[in-house]
Amino acid sequence: MKIAFSKPSLPSAGALVLAVAEGGALSPTAQTLDAETKGSLTRAMTAARFEGKANQTLTLLAPAGLDLARVLLIGIGKAKAFNALSAQALGGTVIATLLNAGDSEATLAIEPVPGVALSPAQIAAEAGFGARRRAYRFDKYRTKEKKEDKPSLKRLNVTVEAQAEAKAAFSRLDSLAEAISLTRDLVTEPGNVIIPQTLAEKAKSLTEFGVEVEILDEKAMRKLGMGSLLGVGQGSEHESRLVVMQWRGAADPKTAPIAFIGKGVTFDSGGISIKPAAGMEDMKGDMAGAATVIGAIRALAARKAAVNVIGVIGLVENMPSGSAQRPGDVVTSMSGQTIEVINTDAEGRLVLADALWYTQDRFKPKIMIDLATLTGAILIALGHEYAGLFASDDRLAERLTAAGTAVGEPLWRLPLGEAYDKQLKSDIADMKNVGGREGGSITAAQFLKRFTNDVAWAHIDIAGTSWSKKDSPTCPKGATGFGVALLDRLVADHYEDKGSK
Amino acid sequence: MLRIAFAASGTVPLAGTVALGCGRGRRLTPSLAGFETGGRLRRTLKRIGFTGETGEAELFRAPPGGLDALIVLGLGGSKRRRRDWRAAGGALLEALDESGAVSALAALDLPAEAAADLAYGLVLKGYRPTRQYRTRLDPDDEEDQPPRLETVTITTDDPAAASQIFAAREAVAEGVFLARDLTNEPGNRLGPEAFAERARQLEALGVEVTILDEAGLAAAGLTLIQAVGRGSARPPCLVLLRWPGADEPPLVLVGKGITFDSGGLSIKADDDEMEAMKADMAGAAAVLGALRAVAGRRARSHVVGVLTLAENMPSGHAQRPGDVWTSAAGLTVEVIDTDAEGRLVLADALAYAARHFAPRAMVDIATLTGTVEEVLGDYHAGLYANDDRLAKQLLKLGKAEGEPLWRLPITDSCDEDLKSAIADLRHCAWGEGIPDNDDAARFLWHFVPPEVPWAHIDMAGKEFADDEDPLCPEGTTGFGVRLFDALAGA
Repeated sequence: MKIAFSKPSLPSAGALVLAVAEGGALSPTAQTLDAETKGSLTRAMTAARFEGKANQTLTLLAPAGLDLARVLLIGIGKAKAFNALSAQALGGTVIATLLNAGDSEATLAIEPVPGVALSPAQIAAEAGFGARRRAYRFDKYRTKEKKEDKPSLKRLNVTVEAQAEAKAAFSRLDSLAEAISLTRDLVTEPGNVIIPQTLAEKAKSLTEFGVEVEILDEKAMRKLGMGSLLGVGQGSEHESRLVVMQWRGAADPKTAPIAFIGKGVTFDSGGISIKPAAGMEDMKGDMAGAATVIGAIRALAARKAAVNVIGVIGLVENMPSGSAQRPGDVVTSMSGQTIEVINTDAEGRLVLADALWYTQDRFKPKIMIDLATLTGAILIALGHEYAGLFASDDRLAERLTAAGTAVGEPLWRLPLGEAYDKQLKSDIADMKNVGGREGGSITAAQFLKRFTNDVAWAHIDIAGTSWSKKDSPTCPKGATGFGVALLDRLVADHYEDKGSK
Repeated sequence: MLRIAFAASGTVPLAGTVALGCGRGRRLTPSLAGFETGGRLRRTLKRIGFTGETGEAELFRAPPGGLDALIVLGLGGSKRRRRDWRAAGGALLEALDESGAVSALAALDLPAEAAADLAYGLVLKGYRPTRQYRTRLDPDDEEDQPPRLETVTITTDDPAAASQIFAAREAVAEGVFLARDLTNEPGNRLGPEAFAERARQLEALGVEVTILDEAGLAAAGLTLIQAVGRGSARPPCLVLLRWPGADEPPLVLVGKGITFDSGGLSIKADDDEMEAMKADMAGAAAVLGALRAVAGRRARSHVVGVLTLAENMPSGHAQRPGDVWTSAAGLTVEVIDTDAEGRLVLADALAYAARHFAPRAMVDIATLTGTVEEVLGDYHAGLYANDDRLAKQLLKLGKAEGEPLWRLPITDSCDEDLKSAIADLRHCAWGEGIPDNDDAARFLWHFVPPEVPWAHIDMAGKEFADDEDPLCPEGTTGFGVRLFDALAGA
């Protein structure tokens, strides 16, 4: 999909898309079209009860009086409430409506809307961003897709007076969209293709953006004493990996970095505590936290963010076998703390325990944020709307929450506390890896906290948000890439050198 | 119901919202060709993937010639059957609803019967599910907006003949709508008595209605129906409907009418979407709808309907697993799973009807077993029969009416599952891999005299449709009414 920006001019062919605010008057372009079609536009709006409500659409196919293949009106809701996310939804709705509709080219005309706070250039750029994300497809394993099922739309032309400004703003967003697509790709890839070694290789490819990438194999991890992570991978035929990505973009590459840590269980069968068969295929996505960290580092490096940032991802496959970890096993983590493994399907926290400890031990970061598809309980608590946020630091929690709201990846904070921590008491080791059914997401976070060594830390449980079963205006169903835009925004708002933006 | 009018071809000016035909391979009909401008229409149709098959309809909101809207309707190839015209009607309805028009003209210049069947498809797809329990509609939800379409005028060579044919189709549609309405009713609104009252209303059409209340059930020895209903505070009953349209042995239709099925003491699991069990009377609704259809079109056919109405509830008075009853047929039955209640009420009703009506054929219909859905998925209903001719006829009619059936065997191997240690039969068996749909059919077989041609339709799952159904909006289907109406004949 080619997305281009140009000065306003009415196209003579293809599809023309116009935005209509709720209860608002027609834009100058819409008025022109209405006149040229002898009022067809307003008649159709009345007949279809089209009022400009957000994401409402109205199609006029081959309208008489115009040479256009179609005119598409898209509602943008109330002008006052219109923001960057609404603009993204507008662009996404263009794609959702036209991608397979038969037209190969579409023009989205962005005109000033009275009452809207964003400039037309910003609207145009954000709409392009939404369009790019909605046009995401993962087709590499389709060998015989019918022609009519393939996208017909090849090019979206966004017209706006401040064309150059829009183009510049879009170029940064487009690079972010690329990073989100990378995360979506990695999550969508099946478990026989993405194993720890191959996912590490994917991370390695970030060197092309100037990221320094190290891959630790099992031998190296054994030397470091990462018994917690290694125990999870021991049932698999595929060796585990720990990948360290460093982007040193700050003026002083020696200043303390911030760190992102990701859970990368490339396939999670549950191990000996095996999962029920129904739905197990979704467990190819249990490395979404790691994929999000890869995507976020790519986004920051690609735009040369003035920040020192470390990405650490723990990559394992959790399988049952004759050599697999058993319930009841006791492992010694890199921190020296011992863990009784009660349930081998609570493996993500075991991986993160060593990854978190390693990160703070080696890099002394200002903050640590981990992302993980960690618990099913988070879906019971928050559904698919919010990811769960746990933090040892209120300021970090507030910053993350604000960044999430701004990019449409909302977080909801849940509590930590001594009482929950007690649930992890083991009869034989320093702790056990599950705290019982009650408060399952919280006790998981509490477990992680024991490996943060009091560094300011936040944990984001993305088990409910990394995969979507239905389309949204800016995301086709499937892997969402949740978290990439959020981390990018967090860095831009708080952790880049001043004046560098 | 949507109003349909027929007008003579060429007499109505093309204005407002107009539907015109396009054949297979994008062959424009002459009237549609009048709206072609330099090949633009055909190019557009090609681009959007419109081929001209039946079931396709495309809306143009700003067409040439000053129309408000133009709908290009796929008419398919030259060999068009009734079901093709009906599917075209269903597709047209969707495009008309999308257009927002209040009235529209389908200037298709069709032969009379094709016009009537197109109208029939429009009407069936244009069923508006009951909104009586909605006190407010969400203005921001397009699905919540009441449809506007009221009238469609269809042009035909012979408006009088089309009207006459359509009048009969419309009567069937009334029957389908009755069944859809009833199936949609919540359990607290439609218990056995309220259902029987709805049946009583068919007297206005000349249907004879007899209701056996509890005393009547006891007197007739319909013990199994009583047993199923005894847990509920609302007593069961049996409704007999007779349309004496011809002097012949009747076609007898028997419907399972469990107005709500909690499972009884063998109560259903709470994750089973138990609210859908308000529709466990869809078989009885189909039978009542079929009687409404044949009476509405004054069919020259003798049809009897039998509705087994009961509510299956747990209570201190409910029947227990292990109970033994003496059925109307005289066979004793051990109750195993009180949630397999449908075959109990049907067993008594089949035996009773065979004895009292000397049927020329007898067909029962029921949302009977979950396993039939495992076997056949959500397209075909299961058909069992003790008579090949009846089975063949039902298969053919089911296909023609868009209510497809697939025949499954009645085998004596099922008798192993039905063997009781204490009674003549037990009514079902527990365990993995039990062919419960076959067992249920075999159980019923024991209650039908072998000389009566009999078929059993297990329609579990067919009582609801999604919006892909060509002749039904999302919701209850009224499955079985069109099939039974066709089976009743002229």
